[in-house]
Amino acid sequence: MNARSVAILLALVGMYIAVPLLLGPNLYVMSLLVASIAIGGVALAWALLGNLGGMVSFGHAAFFGVGSYVSALLSMKLGVPVFAAMFLGGVGAAVASIAMLPTLRLKGPYFALAILAYAQIFRILATEWKSVTGGSGGLSSIPRLPEIAGFDFGSKVGNYLVIVTIVLIFALIYERIRASHYGIALRAMHDSEDATRIVGVNSTFLKAMMLFVSAFMTGVVGAFNAHYINFLEPDYGFSGLWSTIPIVAAIFGGYRTILGPVIGAVFVYLIDQLVFKSYIPSGHQIMLGALLAGMVLFSPTGLLPWIVEKFKRSRHAAA
Amino acid sequence: MTELILQAIYSGLLQGGSYALIALGLAVVFGTMKVINLAHGELVLLAAYVAYAVESAFEVSPIVAIPVALLVVCVSAVLVYFLVDRIQKDRELNSLILTYGIGVMLTNAVLLIWKADIRSTKSAWLQDAVVIGPFYSMRSELGFFVLSLVLMGLLWWWLSKSWYGRAVRAVASNRDAAKLMGINPRTTEIVSFVVAGILAAFAGVALYSYGVIQPPLGHALTVKAFIITVLAGVGSIPGVLAGALLLGVVEALTVTLLSSALQEIAGMGLFLLVLFLMPNGLFGTVARRG
Repeated sequence: MNARSVAILLALVGMYIAVPLLLGPNLYVMSLLVASIAIGGVALAWALLGNLGGMVSFGHAAFFGVGSYVSALLSMKLGVPVFAAMFLGGVGAAVASIAMLPTLRLKGPYFALAILAYAQIFRILATEWKSVTGGSGGLSSIPRLPEIAGFDFGSKVGNYLVIVTIVLIFALIYERIRASHYGIALRAMHDSEDATRIVGVNSTFLKAMMLFVSAFMTGVVGAFNAHYINFLEPDYGFSGLWSTIPIVAAIFGGYRTILGPVIGAVFVYLIDQLVFKSYIPSGHQIMLGALLAGMVLFSPTGLLPWIVEKFKRSRHAAA
Repeated sequence: MTELILQAIYSGLLQGGSYALIALGLAVVFGTMKVINLAHGELVLLAAYVAYAVESAFEVSPIVAIPVALLVVCVSAVLVYFLVDRIQKDRELNSLILTYGIGVMLTNAVLLIWKADIRSTKSAWLQDAVVIGPFYSMRSELGFFVLSLVLMGLLWWWLSKSWYGRAVRAVASNRDAAKLMGINPRTTEIVSFVVAGILAAFAGVALYSYGVIQPPLGHALTVKAFIITVLAGVGSIPGVLAGALLLGVVEALTVTLLSSALQEIAGMGLFLLVLFLMPNGLFGTVARRG
């Protein structure tokens, strides 16, 4: 057993056994953890699109909201089991991303702007389509996660285990894609899309696939969130916060890494909830904007990689 | 019904004037720096709130606030420039994230200072009706539409005749060649941000004078400016004006015929349609890849 697998094993033991045992009784801490890991899942999906697809999205709130609404409605109106509904929520978000395919014709900044517009459109649709979504009144008493084989997934610890597992699976999928030959083609596309097209890579298809995968992941997390908080309204489900926090988190943790965005999300969400929100309750996003702008200016590859680098250097200097 | 539709078209055209100013600001900066300023709509929002602040503090017409708005917005625009200019690596991508962050900051700063309430002008003079033939409008709508046409005329004159205006176009078309001709691209870039700020300031005061404002508006304006630039294709002033008027009319017709909530979706529908059918925009020339 090498050092790497020992580290992975320890991390798994820590996440699946130590955290629930030690922090499980503290409901407040657990709820913060669940919310931050859920945002980590969105941040991971965002980073996948940015890192592999080379696309900056300012509209992941659209996928988040679609996923949450699809899952909530399926489980409420058609009685679909919650876990299946969550999966279908992801599928719904991926389907919604089809509406964005024409924007793949647009390069760089234009894609970013187009997706910014889409996020608003879906919010308006959710507000106006009253017969299905309940309009701005929202949906309440969305079914919680079920009890299976005597274990209650709807409890705080159960919720925690579910979201940790979802995010881990996403990280694995991300890692597989990156290691596959698609990953190589995608990385080549990042350097020169025209050159990659000339050697016969269908760049539009690959970008579309990354968009689907990213949308699916975000949709599943959105669906989880709907069943976790049991309530949904357009201004919450499609809140700009679901676009902003993942970006801040992904940049904070280093968006070129796989787990960086997740770790970044835990940090950023905790800081936002415990510090920013307690001092500036209504406009706390101003701090997220400042954090984002600051990071892009001083360390665009991420704050966490930068700190690790500093730490390594000082250790070398001491030795 | 025909009267309603004609009235909607008229109101939409008037609204298009401010849209054109906002879109031109976005386009000028994109021309010189190849940077999309995602905080551009927020600069317009800032101007609108400056007008509100001046009106409520001194009980004067929002028009008096134009100089203050010009000052505040141009200074902010130049600040945005200096921040964007600091980016070294991956400028296209990182400048998007940076200006998005600045936009979030501005929206929330406005929210913190002026609260989330919807605001509109109290000036009765500006809201008085003006009748031209069968068409009605507010005095401010018509006045600012004419003003925006004048500003566009000035912009056109400036870009084609003045030294700095020609420098802006030179940098936009070929940065290195422009440098060899003795143009300082940095100065030109600052000038383009100031011009964008001037246009944004007028547009912001206009929006406050004939409409309602609230903090999330900035974001929506950036999106609209972008839709117009896609409609217009690679920017020419008449193209942007036509795109802006078209967006204004489509929005106004949607509000009249369907519902005011669908206004934003109408713009998107137009945008998608153009993207599918004419990816180079309504007035753009065929672009080459690579």
